[in-house]
Amino acid sequence: MEPVESNTVGEMTPQEVAQASVSTPVSTPPARPERRKKPRIREIPPEPVPSPHLDDYKDIVGAAYIDEIRFLAEALKGKTVKMVNSTAVGGGVAEMLNQMVPLLNEVEVKTHWDVITGGNDFFEVTKAFHNALQGSDYHLTQQARDIFLMHNHLNSQRIQFNEDFIVIHDPQPPALVQSRDESRRWVWRCHIDLSNPNREVWEFLAPFIERYDAAIFSSQSFTRQLAIPQYLFYPCIDPLSEKNKELEAGSIQKVCDEFGIDRSRPIVTQVSRFDRAKDPVGVIQAFKQARKYVDCQLVLAGGGATDDPEGAAVLKEVRDATDDDPDIIILDLPPWCALEINALQRASTLIVQKSIREGFGLTVTEALWKAKPTIAGAVGGIPNQIIHKLTGMLVHSVDGCAYQMRYLLTHPDFAQQLGHNGREHVKENFLMTTNVRRWLLLFRILLSSQPK
Amino acid sequence: MTAAMAPTLTRTAVKPFYFNTSAHLLRITRQKATNLSEFLQALRECPENSIFQHTFRTLQEHHFIREGFSNDFAHWALSACNEPSLAENLASVDVREFTSVAELRERFVQIVQSFLERSPVSATRSARETFYFCASDIVVIPTSFVAHTLPEFAEGLRQVSVHSLHHHFIEARLRLKLMSNDFSQWLLEDLGLPDAARQLNRIDIYTVTMENVRQQILRIVERALI
Repeated sequence: MEPVESNTVGEMTPQEVAQASVSTPVSTPPARPERRKKPRIREIPPEPVPSPHLDDYKDIVGAAYIDEIRFLAEALKGKTVKMVNSTAVGGGVAEMLNQMVPLLNEVEVKTHWDVITGGNDFFEVTKAFHNALQGSDYHLTQQARDIFLMHNHLNSQRIQFNEDFIVIHDPQPPALVQSRDESRRWVWRCHIDLSNPNREVWEFLAPFIERYDAAIFSSQSFTRQLAIPQYLFYPCIDPLSEKNKELEAGSIQKVCDEFGIDRSRPIVTQVSRFDRAKDPVGVIQAFKQARKYVDCQLVLAGGGATDDPEGAAVLKEVRDATDDDPDIIILDLPPWCALEINALQRASTLIVQKSIREGFGLTVTEALWKAKPTIAGAVGGIPNQIIHKLTGMLVHSVDGCAYQMRYLLTHPDFAQQLGHNGREHVKENFLMTTNVRRWLLLFRILLSSQPK
Repeated sequence: MTAAMAPTLTRTAVKPFYFNTSAHLLRITRQKATNLSEFLQALRECPENSIFQHTFRTLQEHHFIREGFSNDFAHWALSACNEPSLAENLASVDVREFTSVAELRERFVQIVQSFLERSPVSATRSARETFYFCASDIVVIPTSFVAHTLPEFAEGLRQVSVHSLHHHFIEARLRLKLMSNDFSQWLLEDLGLPDAARQLNRIDIYTVTMENVRQQILRIVERALI
């Protein structure tokens, strides 16, 4: 047995932290290349691709794994499920349901997806609830309560709940549970972080949540104390999607050419929208420290700057922080550039996600899936994905990030092992197929328990 | 001809071996710890399937890592509490030496208690991250693989998932209440191959990945075929 050790590879001592910040470079930094050409960004969304079938995942997770899913579904054949959320397009939940619902139907667990409706007043209230549940200041008025309850009631009259399992997603429709009958199992799937909620909003919603048979959270740290069983379902990625599928070398090169990225030198990439929570300026500072010692380029690729005033402000801060350095490439990409993101991640030598606040951090999952050595902030759901020094490197500061960039760029064997472990970790825990299995398991467990 | 007298290649087992697998769902329990004192208390009070989750099951979840991952308790003691000696002691607990979760819990409790007696200042020092005790809800499911002979057994071993291997090779001792595993028991009792059964039981699961374990099991079984 291998005992755990402290302070081995990649661990930074306090002295090293200091050195990472102030020491004199051991070699002259490389001369800056000429200014790069302007990136060419696709302006039209691609055609949607058809949903994959379960067997399409066999080459990725193995035939035995897919067989296990089918065996697990045997006992549920003919059972029915209803998923309910607040939007049919846009956002991670709709994307996940678009992929999950066909796969559950394929194993003959008949799954129907309904979307709640409501006026602007309702969605203003639920948006405020959403932010308040994640810690924002908010005063819950009687009017907001009334609007919330009225629209939940109207939806409960419009939607039939005749299925064996009813799954309600997120904090917009939880009061639908008031129309439950005792023969059906109701599950609340919470996709947001409830670790530090606004007390008024939580106390208003908690009595509804406790009427469910179970609640599901995306990380242990996102939960509340509840009187019902709470399960852990990690968010997942689809390995066959545009953003994660295997790409041919030529496609990767083409994207790099269009973006003016030099593949003969190491590439450090952060993919995330331009948001202060992702600390893009901190990434630039870390890169500048690391580049004193190791020749490399930085790519910051993201979106959110066109439709969000704060995003535009952050993008300006980021551009200012580059000091016109031609080795720092800023890409403000539209939301349909999944294939380009995929190629960028695959072309990268290292991937960084130096968030200072985070949800689960699916960009980390994407990086790990591509077997990329990954450096990420130890916040939100990231520690679920990055086991420090085993599946990636966790950092807490700009200096720590700079040190790990230097370390991984100069220790390629160790970096490669991290990448390999990271991919296996995703394969085991964070793929679409894992979540199909989790849903089937949950339904079987609920079936064998007494309804509330 | 009895099972024990036929050549191993054609010998038919007294009872066939049905490859099963176990699927686990993570449940978040009420226990959590923000320092070692709370951790010790939670270790004593958490449900047994929580101890199972953070030891047996986590080994399966991290089956692809061969360097330094033993159980969640050891990992937390090092990464969140910065207590390398405690982490080393916790990591040295080999789940295969236990046939009940109660005994396993007791061993962890002893280690933490003894550490805190030696280092009382560590008890209330805040950990960098909270330890959330989870539990594993298990559903056992069949696979399509059944072995009546050693060649069929080898084929099953090649084809089943690592979850099935873990179910039969590692978790089995909690069901059997024996220092053994389903594969060794079948080779011994139903196929009359005590040497192969013994060799299987000596494979070190902590220094290799579960795929490596599969290869080692296969090598032993293939040698027995000769």
